[in-house]
Amino acid sequence: MAPARLATSLLGTLRAASTRPAIAWRQRCLYHSYDYAQPPPFPPAESAILSCAYAHVPSHGFTIDTLKLGARDAGYLDVSTNLLPRGVFDLVNYHLVTQRLALQNNVQFPEEGEQGNKMGVGAKVRKLTLARLRANEAIIHRWQEALAIMAQPTYVPVSFAELARLADEIWFLSGDQSVDSSWYTKRATLSAIYSSTEMYMTQDKSANFVDTEQFLDNRLQDLIKVGGFVGGLGEWLNYTGHSTINLLRSKGARI
Amino acid sequence: MGESRCFSCSVRQAQQQTPPPKSPQGRPQTTHFGFETISEALKEQRVGAVFSSVASSYDSMNDFMSLGIHRLWKDHFVRNLNPGRNPLTSSSSQEQGWNILDIAGGTGDIAFRMLDHASTINHDAHTKVTVADINPEMLTEGKKRALQTPYARSPRLKFVEANAEKLDMIPSNSIDLYTVAFGIRNFTHKEAALKEAFRVLKPGGVFACLEFSKVNNPLFDAVYQRWSFGAIPLIGQLVAGDRDSYQYLVESIARFPSQTEFSDMIKDAGFLVPGKGYEDLTNGIAAIHKGVKPAEKSL
Repeated sequence: MAPARLATSLLGTLRAASTRPAIAWRQRCLYHSYDYAQPPPFPPAESAILSCAYAHVPSHGFTIDTLKLGARDAGYLDVSTNLLPRGVFDLVNYHLVTQRLALQNNVQFPEEGEQGNKMGVGAKVRKLTLARLRANEAIIHRWQEALAIMAQPTYVPVSFAELARLADEIWFLSGDQSVDSSWYTKRATLSAIYSSTEMYMTQDKSANFVDTEQFLDNRLQDLIKVGGFVGGLGEWLNYTGHSTINLLRSKGARI
Repeated sequence: MGESRCFSCSVRQAQQQTPPPKSPQGRPQTTHFGFETISEALKEQRVGAVFSSVASSYDSMNDFMSLGIHRLWKDHFVRNLNPGRNPLTSSSSQEQGWNILDIAGGTGDIAFRMLDHASTINHDAHTKVTVADINPEMLTEGKKRALQTPYARSPRLKFVEANAEKLDMIPSNSIDLYTVAFGIRNFTHKEAALKEAFRVLKPGGVFACLEFSKVNNPLFDAVYQRWSFGAIPLIGQLVAGDRDSYQYLVESIARFPSQTEFSDMIKDAGFLVPGKGYEDLTNGIAAIHKGVKPAEKSL
């Protein structure tokens, strides 16, 4: 994936820059440490209403009625949905955040050892992405409503920030430790692949979403091809450029 | 305002602006009336006098002073609260409609909007609004206006003369939504009013307040201050023939705590606040504050 950096480094940098203020606003702690438990993503009352409402999403969709039903189930009133300042978007956000945080517990990688055939980072990314897509299964018939809400101008920046956080989570969990500009391109390309696959999944009628799985594999394959081509092109330009300069120097040019 | 509150208040205000020096320990029973410091007993009376004198021209004055924007704020406030229980989508039918208490809502501005929203948007013919105001003149104005609406003789609208700090006629845990629009800054004891709101609300009920607040942008603030201290008393003099009442109005706005301070007061009264606790309107000229009374389960 590293050679893809030329093609998408600009995009990656832009996206990373635009998501930064949102991240700073959400996180109280500016660094990640295994020694401290991360605070729960939602305060208790909001969490109670949202988790009860979430159970109604398959039947009532991402609507204010779902929130009201959830509030009732949690022992609150219809009016208590005012506790959620962004209304239905808070329910969408709840799905995004809880499913992202669930990844680290739901996906286990087999321990390396027996034959020494360790799972590569690429395979891990594929597995995690697929697991995240599968988490949409229960509500996929309602997901277009959520996409429409996320596309409202007020919520676009927050939605992109959440997508970036998901891509970051997947790369982090797959054990990627890059510290060069490929850090950005990896997250940018994975974000693009994830969102397009998710869009495909809303239309997918195949059994057990095999078509979606195929679609994801094709996109990852494309990425490797494009990455290989861009990498090859870079190498060729580098080689040809150096050769030309050396040739000119051997002819006495002062370069 | 009690002795300790008065002291802590003046300390808090000293940190952000330099108020005229007060003697916090010497005369404990004083409070603000605009920029004046007067005895507590007098405040209720003088606020009463202000609103009695502006009651008849209240609406046209609001339009002149806010250039009509107060209507947009009120519409947004009501739409955002989304009052009413839609009978088509609500599953359980053990209760119908919301029980709304509109404090300091004498002229019925908020009440009529609430009922309209409930009826037309949520097809709810049961939501009730009780309009409470301390001032009989404002209530008379509201009753007069109610005759123009379909709710005048229906059981859905009720007018009560009451002090927001002592709502004895309202039983505890009986209200779904407590609203106060452009009223709370005139209360003598805001903490007492918040406590009383907490008492009358059902668990899960919402306290919602629309009130003038602090402008965040310093440049815009300069323009706004010039408008409020220069133009508004003058408009009051020309249109309503009462300069002093409108001078009080702008001073009381300047006196009112900032968004974060007021949000903290709501939290101190025991409410949960959604998100950061407030929403600015028109750069913070006004702000909507909300608080939710916690349900027993989550306590």
